Amino acid sequence: MGDEEDPKEYRWETGYEKTWEAIKEDDEGFLEASVADIVQRAKRKRHALKQGSQKLGMMRHLFILLDCSESMSSQDLKPTRLMCTLKLLEIFLDEFFDQNPISQLGVIIMHNKRAEKISDLAGNCRKHIKLINNLNRTSLVGEPSLQNGLEMALSSLKLLPSHASREILVIMGSLTTCDPGDILNTIDNMKIEGVRCSIIGLAAEVHVCRLLANQTNGVYNVILDDSHFKDLLLQHVDPPPAAKCLESSLIKMGFPHQINIEGSEEPLTMCMCHVDSVDDGSKLTTGGYYCPQCFSKYCELPVECRACGLTLVSAPHLARSYHHLFPAANYVEMTFSNQASICFACQKTFSEADKQVYQCPNCKKVFCLDCDIFIHDALHTCPGCATNLSTFQITHSN
Amino acid sequence: MNNIELPSETQPDITSTDETSLLVVILDSNPGQKMLRDNPHILTHCVDSVIAFANSHLMQKAQNKLAIMACHSKTSQFIFPGPGRPLDVRQIDGQYEAFTNVEKTTKQNLAKILSSETSSAITESLLAGAIAMALCYIARLNRIKPPGAKLNSRILVVTGSGCSASQYMNYMNVFFTAQKQNVVIDVCALDQHLSLLQQGCDITNGLYLKVPQLQGLLQYLLWVFLPEPPIREKLVLPPPVKVDYRAACFCHRELIDIGYVCSVCLSIFCKFSPICTTCHTVFKMPAPLAGKTKKKKKI
Amino acid sequence: MADNGVGAQSQKSSLIKHTNLECKNLYDYLKSRPPSVLEKLYNHPTICLAVYRELPELARQYVIRILFVEQPVPQAVVASWGSQAFSKEHTHVSKVLTELSVWQEAGIPGGLLGWILSPTFKKNLKVALLGGGKAWSMSSALEVDSKARDVSFLDAYSQERWECVLHYMVGSQQQEGISADAVRILLHAGLMKRDEEDGSPVITRQGFQFLLLDRQAQVWHFILQYLDTVEERGLDLVECLTFLFQLSFSTLGKDYSTEGMSPGLLIFLQHLREFGLVYQRKRKAGRFYPTRLALNITTSNDKVPDIEEDAPKGYIVVETNYRVYAYTDSNLQVALVGLFTELMYRFPNLVVGVITRDSVRQALRGGITADQIIGFLKQHAHPRMLDLQAKQPLPPTVVDQIKLWELERNRLVYSEGVLYSQFLSQADFNVLKEYAKSIGCLIWDNNDRRTLVINKSSHDDVKKFWKRYSKGN
Repeated sequence: MGDEEDPKEYRWETGYEKTWEAIKEDDEGFLEASVADIVQRAKRKRHALKQGSQKLGMMRHLFILLDCSESMSSQDLKPTRLMCTLKLLEIFLDEFFDQNPISQLGVIIMHNKRAEKISDLAGNCRKHIKLINNLNRTSLVGEPSLQNGLEMALSSLKLLPSHASREILVIMGSLTTCDPGDILNTIDNMKIEGVRCSIIGLAAEVHVCRLLANQTNGVYNVILDDSHFKDLLLQHVDPPPAAKCLESSLIKMGFPHQINIEGSEEPLTMCMCHVDSVDDGSKLTTGGYYCPQCFSKYCELPVECRACGLTLVSAPHLARSYHHLFPAANYVEMTFSNQASICFACQKTFSEADKQVYQCPNCKKVFCLDCDIFIHDALHTCPGCATNLSTFQITHSN
Repeated sequence: MNNIELPSETQPDITSTDETSLLVVILDSNPGQKMLRDNPHILTHCVDSVIAFANSHLMQKAQNKLAIMACHSKTSQFIFPGPGRPLDVRQIDGQYEAFTNVEKTTKQNLAKILSSETSSAITESLLAGAIAMALCYIARLNRIKPPGAKLNSRILVVTGSGCSASQYMNYMNVFFTAQKQNVVIDVCALDQHLSLLQQGCDITNGLYLKVPQLQGLLQYLLWVFLPEPPIREKLVLPPPVKVDYRAACFCHRELIDIGYVCSVCLSIFCKFSPICTTCHTVFKMPAPLAGKTKKKKKI
Repeated sequence: MADNGVGAQSQKSSLIKHTNLECKNLYDYLKSRPPSVLEKLYNHPTICLAVYRELPELARQYVIRILFVEQPVPQAVVASWGSQAFSKEHTHVSKVLTELSVWQEAGIPGGLLGWILSPTFKKNLKVALLGGGKAWSMSSALEVDSKARDVSFLDAYSQERWECVLHYMVGSQQQEGISADAVRILLHAGLMKRDEEDGSPVITRQGFQFLLLDRQAQVWHFILQYLDTVEERGLDLVECLTFLFQLSFSTLGKDYSTEGMSPGLLIFLQHLREFGLVYQRKRKAGRFYPTRLALNITTSNDKVPDIEEDAPKGYIVVETNYRVYAYTDSNLQVALVGLFTELMYRFPNLVVGVITRDSVRQALRGGITADQIIGFLKQHAHPRMLDLQAKQPLPPTVVDQIKLWELERNRLVYSEGVLYSQFLSQADFNVLKEYAKSIGCLIWDNNDRRTLVINKSSHDDVKKFWKRYSKGN
């Protein structure tokens, strides 16, 4: 058990950081510029670390275990812990499905020593957000039971095919858990099944959480304030490295396209996703996506065909995840000495104020700091490489 | 070439009115495209139409902004506002000075690029890269705009070349970035049908138009692409075409209905193969897989 | 309180007219010109360009669509360009285009009616867009200016000149630097009036409102007033207007030649120089620099509150506790803030005040409206205020409260009416009441006393109905 221990467990055990020395005044005696600089550099550093692990668990199956016990009504986060968490979860869900379009997510709440499944694993973002919004009316009573929650999540995750990445994210407000049995057994089961459990604590560090995270290769963090909370939550948007026991396989998928026969109006049909729901939208529509295997119709992608079990996606859904796997090369930082007069991408004229410029190792084009961050944060394509046929091919062959 | 000391930052200064709209036109002037190889004179016609269109955009509102890019296979460049010092243009006729400036600068810079193009080999225009540059440019203008100001940006691609699947990944990256940044991508196809760029229009809510005849290019541009996205809903414009979102397999680059996807790197293959050519993962045999997927369905 | 309200009420109604006058834009101005003047104006590409930019967005699309069409376009076809849901907008746009004589009705073989662009307008808009025609009057070639002025110099110059005018209005000490001519315009515009006792000009209510406008609107309003007097001075209105728009489409920081300008225009130029719209080193320099004040002079649209460029940094911070911090050392700006706040402290570069009910009511009594106060605060909001909330730079509580304070003064609504009473039966009364209600002219009624008051304008209507009704019985 000792091997998983974090070497730098406590703040006071770490080295003496002179944080104030990094801050310098600018010519007018302001600190802001240099603080902004530090923030940007930190961003760059994080990117530099990101490279490396090539195998990622792309098909994520994530359960969010949300503490809905009495402790969540505390007002140390404004307006209450629960409200704040729900707001942030909404942002998280949006980002999660944006970045991991073929992944699935479910929500379980823990209150009154019981676990309750709010939504099953599914890929529909809007449905989840609706359910999350409804949660602000739940009564916050009793103590949470971490074990019950984990067991419930595990019972669903167990059934998944071997290539799926299984994850649990616990948001824990309480400092205690009230369990029916030995939670250590549950943790062992988690480890065996290869479920990665991460925990965000809203109060203080708890040993059992630390143990759970360490045993299952998850991360355990305790928040400082709401903005830190958001940061921590959004870290879980990026797909984690693939677990060792994760098997890789080829999955059969369908790419439906809208059928249009020239000249003829499409017939009114009912889609499979709304066929048995009474409340909303069980309407007849014309357009839709047809499963290429059994021709049942769906109004939204991605979805798993109800008739033949084929996963139906559209190509851009897959493409949305490619940047995790084929990131743009990290640029090399250089001190500015007239390498180029303007930033290749944004056309900004370099001046004395730009102390550092950044060069792409492939196409040797020079960029400014803002573009460097934009390219690696959002764009994931090096404009220099992508505009030249010779470098274009280099980047694609590897 | 070293003009760092010059005070003339080519920064377009944004007047701080609420809504400024920025139009970035990407003009594919690659002489290697089929349309231009058949008849090189078409380019002059296209350039004239694009400039007139760009000026019409500037004419709409005093605070409107414009950038024009030329896209080739070896590089892409901003030809308006060009690199370096803006030209000192004096009015020669009744044309508005700013419009004369656009015309002169664009033509001069374009001529420079075309004369540096040596080989006449058939090469593909790397439009995705040009769009990526345009997005960086837009991102910078968004950073430097005065607080409280709003900038609506869109990109118009005018091209006669086809789109090849080799740029697929770059295309998807720029489309999704544009979608996130609220940048609309419009595409005006001059010669061939562009299925990939059409997906981009669909993703970013832009318009796609394949020009039926080149003669009336300016009119098509003015009718379809001049209205800004907010006003488009008030006008009757060509309906969005149904976009073919089928995937192209990585092995043969063919569009497929049903394919196999690597669980590690999401590469798409049309047939089952024991090893992934992209990430070199060895797969298990598919037989037990089918059973498991069924089980998953039952949950 | 109540009689206070009454007094203000009548004053206000007269003021409202003046406020409308202030917000006159190019469209309103041109609409009031006779078509022959318009036709003359459209002979100049600059004016066509300015008019085009002033059109509603949809109208601009229509014009550009038929710019290259030679024959009239059937009206039905034009109507089909807009989508069904916005047909109201379409009607409005057609009206605007007709009013400005940008397009005219024309018959098409087959008896249909069509639209065709005014030939002069079409020709000259094309010239502005695509080139051709004569060069504008001020663009003769010039040698390089040995003492070229940069943009920041021009900005400082124009700001100083313009503030000179404003300072004069608020009666600050700086009396010099403003000519009798400018004073005459101020008086003509009703922004100042002669004091009854000593005949010296003093600022009017409208003058205060004028001060709270943003700079572009100020310039535009001022120029409009000036143009009114142009013909008295023996200058040609069309010529001046054309030159003004040429100026507004010039490039900042560039010099232009005075060569070939008529004597009248040269006088006009000197006037513009006095207000800081152009910079000239010497009267006979042969060249001039337009300043930012002259650029895009027409974009004083009241819908889009412009943040000026030459004062790019707003200086006012408003807190939710109604405190106002103005980072300024200019007496003028302090005086402006003081119009509606109670000043508390004054430091070398900072003035602190608080918005109170009394201070706002005093401003309202002075003829300033709540919207003007809010507009002023918004327009000069400190960049920090803009950063914090993207949507609303001012605290909503303060904005709402200022509006409520204004509403407080408008609790009484006056409407002329006719009293109907002494009905013989409750039924008669009810019938008439219902009828009045149905046509929406009932102002007040009392069941017990069988009296009702009806809007005066529909008195005839109701009377007729009553006659018919009583005959029928």
